[in-house]
Amino acid sequence: MELTKKYWKGVDELKETPEFLQNRDEEFPKGTTVDEFLNEDGVAESSPARRDFLKFLGFSVAAATVAACEAPVVKAIPYVNKPENVTPGIATWYASTYYDGNSYASILVKTREGRPIFIKGNKEQGFTKGNTNAQIIASVLGLYDSSRLTSPTKNGKVTNWTAVDGEIKKAIADVKAKGGKVTLVSNSIISPSTYNAIKALGAAVGGTEENGNFEHIQYDAQSYAGIRKANMESFGEAFIPDYDFSKAKTIVSVGADFMSGWLMSTQYTNQYGSRRNPDGEWMNKHFQFESNMSITGSNADNRAMIKPSEQANVLAYMLKAMGAPVSGVSTELSKPATKIADLAIKALRESKAASLVVAGSNNAAVQILANKLNMKLGAYATTININDKVNMFQSEDDKMNKFVNKVIGGKGPDMILFCGVNPAYSLPNGDKFAMALSKIKTTISFSAHPDETASKCTYICPDHHALEAWNDFSPKASHYSIAQPTIRPIGNTAAAQESMMVWGGTAKRGGKDSKEYYNVITSNWKQFGFDVQTEVASWDEYWGMAVHNSVSPDTIMPATVPIFNEGALSGLASKLPKKGKWEVALYQKAGIGVGDQANNPWLQELPDPISKVTWDNYITMNPTDMGNDYQLTFDQETGLSLATVKMGAKSMTLPVYPSPGQALGTVGVALGYGRGANGEKIGTAAFQTKEYGGAVEDENGNPKPIGANAFAFVGMENGTMSYNGEVSINKEEGSYLIAATQIHHTVMARNSIVKETTLGTYKSKDQSAYNKKWTLQKLDEHGNHVEAPMAEFDLWDAHPVEKIGHRWAMTVDLNGCIGCGACLIACQSENNVPVVGKDEVRRGREMHWLRIDRYFASDIEAAVGSRKDHDLSKISFMDAAEDTAENPTVVHMPMMCHHCNHAPCETVCPVAATTHSNEGLNQMTYNRCIGTRYCANNCPYKVRRFNWFNYPSYKKFTEINPAQDDLGRMVLNPDVTVRTRGVMEKCSFCVQRIQEGKLVAKEAERPVMDGDVTTACSDACPTNAIIVGDWNDLKSIVRTSSDDKRAYQALEEVGIKPNIWYKTKVRNHENKELAGLQQEHKVEAHGGHGEAHGEDHGKKAHH
Amino acid sequence: MKISINQMFRNYNKWCFGLLSMALTVFTFNSTAQGDALFKAKCASCHNPHKDNTGPKLFQVRAKWADGGAKEGSIYTWVNNWQNAAATDPYAKAVSAWSPTAMTAFPELSVEQINSILDWVDEQPLPGAAGPADDGGLTTEVVGETEETSNTWMWVLLGAIFFTVIAAIGGVRRQLNNATALAEGKDVNDGASYLDEFKSWAYYNKGKVGVSAMLIVLTLAVWGLQGLGNIGVVSGYQPSQPIEFPHSVHSGINGIDCKYCHNSVDQGKSAGLPTVNVCMNCHKQIKGNTPDQIAKISKIYDAAGFNPEGAGSYTGKTKPIIWNKVHALPDHVYFPHSQHVNIGGIDCKQCHGDMTQQKETAKIQPIEELNKIEGNVKLTRPTLTMGWCIECHGEKEISTGPIDTKGGGYYAEIHKRLLNNDRKLYDEYLKDGKVTVKELGGWECAKCHY
Repeated sequence: MELTKKYWKGVDELKETPEFLQNRDEEFPKGTTVDEFLNEDGVAESSPARRDFLKFLGFSVAAATVAACEAPVVKAIPYVNKPENVTPGIATWYASTYYDGNSYASILVKTREGRPIFIKGNKEQGFTKGNTNAQIIASVLGLYDSSRLTSPTKNGKVTNWTAVDGEIKKAIADVKAKGGKVTLVSNSIISPSTYNAIKALGAAVGGTEENGNFEHIQYDAQSYAGIRKANMESFGEAFIPDYDFSKAKTIVSVGADFMSGWLMSTQYTNQYGSRRNPDGEWMNKHFQFESNMSITGSNADNRAMIKPSEQANVLAYMLKAMGAPVSGVSTELSKPATKIADLAIKALRESKAASLVVAGSNNAAVQILANKLNMKLGAYATTININDKVNMFQSEDDKMNKFVNKVIGGKGPDMILFCGVNPAYSLPNGDKFAMALSKIKTTISFSAHPDETASKCTYICPDHHALEAWNDFSPKASHYSIAQPTIRPIGNTAAAQESMMVWGGTAKRGGKDSKEYYNVITSNWKQFGFDVQTEVASWDEYWGMAVHNSVSPDTIMPATVPIFNEGALSGLASKLPKKGKWEVALYQKAGIGVGDQANNPWLQELPDPISKVTWDNYITMNPTDMGNDYQLTFDQETGLSLATVKMGAKSMTLPVYPSPGQALGTVGVALGYGRGANGEKIGTAAFQTKEYGGAVEDENGNPKPIGANAFAFVGMENGTMSYNGEVSINKEEGSYLIAATQIHHTVMARNSIVKETTLGTYKSKDQSAYNKKWTLQKLDEHGNHVEAPMAEFDLWDAHPVEKIGHRWAMTVDLNGCIGCGACLIACQSENNVPVVGKDEVRRGREMHWLRIDRYFASDIEAAVGSRKDHDLSKISFMDAAEDTAENPTVVHMPMMCHHCNHAPCETVCPVAATTHSNEGLNQMTYNRCIGTRYCANNCPYKVRRFNWFNYPSYKKFTEINPAQDDLGRMVLNPDVTVRTRGVMEKCSFCVQRIQEGKLVAKEAERPVMDGDVTTACSDACPTNAIIVGDWNDLKSIVRTSSDDKRAYQALEEVGIKPNIWYKTKVRNHENKELAGLQQEHKVEAHGGHGEAHGEDHGKKAHH
Repeated sequence: MKISINQMFRNYNKWCFGLLSMALTVFTFNSTAQGDALFKAKCASCHNPHKDNTGPKLFQVRAKWADGGAKEGSIYTWVNNWQNAAATDPYAKAVSAWSPTAMTAFPELSVEQINSILDWVDEQPLPGAAGPADDGGLTTEVVGETEETSNTWMWVLLGAIFFTVIAAIGGVRRQLNNATALAEGKDVNDGASYLDEFKSWAYYNKGKVGVSAMLIVLTLAVWGLQGLGNIGVVSGYQPSQPIEFPHSVHSGINGIDCKYCHNSVDQGKSAGLPTVNVCMNCHKQIKGNTPDQIAKISKIYDAAGFNPEGAGSYTGKTKPIIWNKVHALPDHVYFPHSQHVNIGGIDCKQCHGDMTQQKETAKIQPIEELNKIEGNVKLTRPTLTMGWCIECHGEKEISTGPIDTKGGGYYAEIHKRLLNNDRKLYDEYLKDGKVTVKELGGWECAKCHY
């Protein structure tokens, strides 16, 4: 009997397939004997005799001894002139801003001896409030990417800036002389100063409003043009408004993954998270209607599965219920979706203006329906601010489409410049576009890599990495920010803006330390910032403050209610997406996004928050749809079935991944894969690697890309890009091996690891209903059986960490954790965690110190034992289980070393390599470790990782491990040892930061305070779900948090006294089964742990 | 590459005559100890009592200012922040034109402290009064330094002689035996070799042989294991350096404070190698007198991109100096200097030894030398081994006796928690009258290894 529901990690576990049972029971397979092992490789014949072995042994001992006597000479090279703000060994932090066309955030960059090594969100400045995502944190690795171009190239050959500038200037003059046309294709530019540079270039071309000789097209791989278009029709102005999720009591999202990827998710996640506290003023209620199981959907209180073509139906259904039916638009929905929609309507009626409806579709017609619904609710002026307009995502789909067709038709301009875009990859007809580029006289790319587009260009004039360059941004109307360089440019690159100005004749090449673009930025900020304010008297102070904070003070833009043009609603039906038997929904993964960082091994190895698959792209399909045709389960040696998805003339073959929660009749394919399909040199980590290293090659000898490019399925619908459509699916022969992380461990019926309840139960019942403490029976002094809390039972003497000194502890709020993976990447970046590659992940040898477990649970089977089909044969059993796996709820649970005070790993180590500190840390001493791996066997949380290889040198990892290349190695944190082969490693609680934090307190002669000690994961968490601190400080936040009534310890019943607390997940929905079970459990006295107290009983009886 | 110590000293005697004599007077007159210490810490890098250096000579400077018509007390303002003084006093403004190098501000110095410095400076005798007299003393000291000769060879030689004698005696005995056997008409035992004889002898004395063999094996094993423990223990490591750097001249004779050059010692993990611009603060003026000195100092100029001709100018062509690292801790050891200096309050010489005596850059002094330093915990393990670290952590106290728990300091809080929550443990810690680093976790792996 369990307190909550049954949780399962994958379909195989739910269905208890024979393969799964075998794997579960043989989690630690029988060892191979040495003879067998040697025989297998045919080494037996040549294997050395015992005497030879002893000779070798003796020789190597002697050689090692002799070698050790000679101390190597190490060089020490001090600065000639020490920069003022660099002290060797001490980190310097810079405030800056991140913007890559997709994500925006105010960041802090940690540099050591002038090298940026870590990025975290800036919690004090900017509207993102410290919020980042995995891609932003991982972008620091891109700085040390050795595949980046280090100088300009012409037709693929390295040249120099002087030559390039001369030729391009001449080309521009030629174009101008004959009145020709120049087109600049860029991603959405939100930098006010960059527009100065573009203007300079336009002027040099002779472009004016009238002649149109200079055209600037903004084009985003993921377009949101539909929202702008819908607002144009609804309100007469094309804009994206500012959404405020922190003000919305009811959130209805129709296909919008607003916590990962959709619009300004770095802003929304934090706002959303701030309202997920069940003890707060109020807790929001979140409804999600979607096709793919997204991060947002996995966190929803109620989630309905709909086809992409039904998005309009959901909105129309709600509008109808609200008394504003839309003629012509169907309101037909499946039964479960109708049920959820009715609940949503009820909630929307209650919250009225404090509601927010967002739609993910890029179809303007769907967005108009969402606008109408928000109007009807009165959400404008409360949760939606139309005056604080978003400057990001200005994609001009229609214009771009016309331009592309012209180029393909041979009617292109005389010169094209590409800035921040890779249309040859991200256009559905990119291959044709790439071929047509050769017909253009001059093509220039500012790309850092010879990517799909740039490799077809005449010139590549590589731009700086964002961490090397000055820039300014205005992500939305009220906000201005600055990006400052944190390192001198590594290569001989130049700011794209400078290049434009040089060719436009308004600047000179300034080399690595050029101030040309910087001067433009400062003069803009002086003119439009300093001169129009009165608070700061001196410019130096003003600019110093702006750079220090990386943002200027926000202007306040009050929201107003716009007037909705009812005419926009007429004739919508014909513009809506077409229904199909099978529909595809394209989506962005948290790590790969639209593929800009496809060569970043950290992001490739980041397990997808839902599927937990690394290094791959696949088709997600509901297990119900897969039926018996497809392979439902997979493991190390069993692959997944392949299938071909076909849309019109385009098709791609990918493995089919069983994804519970995928809407029936739909499949999902992630964008951003299939980079470098023609062997473009975009970095070795973007390609598939062989078992013993080296790239897998295709028939042309090109390295094979990872996955397939799903941008081919992007369509045009009423002048905007569409990311869904009708497809057909055919199963293919053969199977494909997949590397997923969460099939490696099993729950083993320890379902108490997750605790979950509903807001109703939480508010009305006491703690024992949803967070019952474990108790055991003991004999009291009178010989009676009494219940006693777990804390009273000790097998060992307690460590003296409970009250004296420090006790470092962490709480993880399951209500706050959205599973985004930012903490995992931050941990990897902070602790030099090696990348191991697909083959090793498949074998369960990933090295991540922190993983995020994703558990599925369904309301149908509320508890273990409530299922009655254990004895059924496999086939009928699967039928019975189908409903359960169709649309489960999801819990994300970060899992790392719990630093148990009674750690099972410590007692089994034969060499005392893992020991307990008096501050409650489970310490790992790499030098002592001899690699018996007993500790990993004994760890109940399965968080210990073994170094099977020398990742920093073994050839298998050359392609993917950045630590194997001189430049990539620069990203390593000098405060953390790089582990060698044969030792165990695991989360250290960022002990280097603890030591640093204590020293700060000691030097300031004060006790350690909150904020002195943080871990990388808690730094990175966008919703502040992870809290770290000194538990022995009674006033610390972590202590208060762990004393909360929601706090519990995972596997507390094992009696290992961990230093990590989780906080019960509270969902704001109705769940009669769960509520009933928790009520029933409360009434029951102490049933359910018969085994445990039985044993204990016996033990005590001996006394 | 290396020059002998004697030669080096002769050179120094020639060219740092003034400095040397100044330093010698330091040892002679100790009346104003505070002024002495402060002068060395704050002023010595630029000022000299009797000689213009980067800054002007300071002998009788107060009188000079008063005679020059300076305002009352403006010399103190000057030391605190020369700009303030120059703004208010015309004399100070005139002084500010003395050199293009601006004086560092010392806002932390009080009037008394400045007076104590200047009092001490005024007590320094003019150069020439004491210098040559002590020259011989130094030379004697250097001559007295003889190399320690090893007596290992003597033992080897003796062993060889003994072995020869034993072998010879054995041979004679054998001959005699043979002769006797021949005389008595028995078989001459030609077949029995030394080895056979040894074997039979050992067989008959198997008890004694067994015991002594066991002893020998055990001794060898113990000796071998101890030897293994010394692998990687390199004391007196002294790699040659691109530029000879005598600490004895800089911190000894000239009395420059360690922190002036190793200025991150109280901020970060590493004490920091002085950057070339720090060298140039003084060596811009001190260019050397003999060709030998000029050649050596010119290496600094090469690195700094400095042209010493005339008033001197920077060319901008810098190149870093590549030193050979003397103390190279393994990567997995995190030793923060700042913690030991700031929190532990340890003086440089407590671990490094008396650097004022060190003539060539070398590893920190052996443990025997360190144990002689006043206030040091007496340790036994070789320096820069983990044994040395933890031995000190086991002995060194964080506090003696119960700490005042009323204050808000870091350790006060820790002691308060001990006192309130586990009095027994606290009393146990205090049994020896102190709370050691070890008792608060100073022996734990992850305090230094992560």
